[in-house]
Amino acid sequence: MPDRWDGDDESEAGRFVPLYILVNGRTSPRDSKLDLATQVIALQVDANRLEPEYVQILNQCGNWISIAEIGAYLRIPLTIVKVMVDVLLEQGYLGIGSPAQQKVIDMSVLDALLAGLERL
Amino acid sequence: MDRTSVKIVVAGGFGTGKTTLVSSVSEIAPLTTEELLTEASLGVDDTTHVEDKTHTTVALDFGRITISPDVVLYLFGTPGQDRFWFMWDELAQGAVGAIVLVDTRRLDTSFAAVDYFERRGIPFVTAVNQFNGQCAYTEEEIRGALELDPQVPLVWCDARDRESSKLALIALVRHAMNRLRVPA
Repeated sequence: MPDRWDGDDESEAGRFVPLYILVNGRTSPRDSKLDLATQVIALQVDANRLEPEYVQILNQCGNWISIAEIGAYLRIPLTIVKVMVDVLLEQGYLGIGSPAQQKVIDMSVLDALLAGLERL
Repeated sequence: MDRTSVKIVVAGGFGTGKTTLVSSVSEIAPLTTEELLTEASLGVDDTTHVEDKTHTTVALDFGRITISPDVVLYLFGTPGQDRFWFMWDELAQGAVGAIVLVDTRRLDTSFAAVDYFERRGIPFVTAVNQFNGQCAYTEEEIRGALELDPQVPLVWCDARDRESSKLALIALVRHAMNRLRVPA
């Protein structure tokens, strides 16, 4: 019985719904550009119909926040956060910033970064 | 929406001060996030008890520095164990570059990190962590032992010190800028 769910491994986190059900069996986000440093923000949309686990994520996103931070605060593994964030993006609950994951870092970003670090 | 994330990877062997460096410059207390490991990513080790295993996770420590209203820098420490190489790929993808921390008592533990970034052409600086006081080796000796390319900057730092860690980050950003101007 390789796929048997014993319901035990999430009990410490007080999670009653298995994570694979929450993400509708998805194993990877639709948008592969989602990086652990990608930032998202909650949009002003009625979230009444969402499962509590999704509302929990939205509640973290009052200000811009990265996928890694959401995972750390809610203690959800990164793979799962990515899929859940992707679902929220798809359904228009979240807005997304520029992903860190791009091949060429442009010079203007490096200029801003250097200036910012020198100000620290 | 204009909100850009920038990543810098903080690498080096076990005990070289990665989390210390992240803590000293981060504006938040370092956070830990977890990634699930599949059997495929774990390779062939230890399949004997796989049925008992619910899941395996690898922890990542990271910090944050707000650079400007639109730009946030995330500093990710690499997981210590070598078998988590696949996580390095995700961390390094799209990163400005890496700081490879070096502990001169255990130079060999940082060799794999140097090799990793060199092979992939990712800009990196080596930062010799002097948390144990004066270093017994010269820059040439360390460069020789790590087989560093002459173009790779080497800086001395104390990862516990904010200013010192900041200078290591600045050295990396300058190096990345030079590399962008004159592609290797």
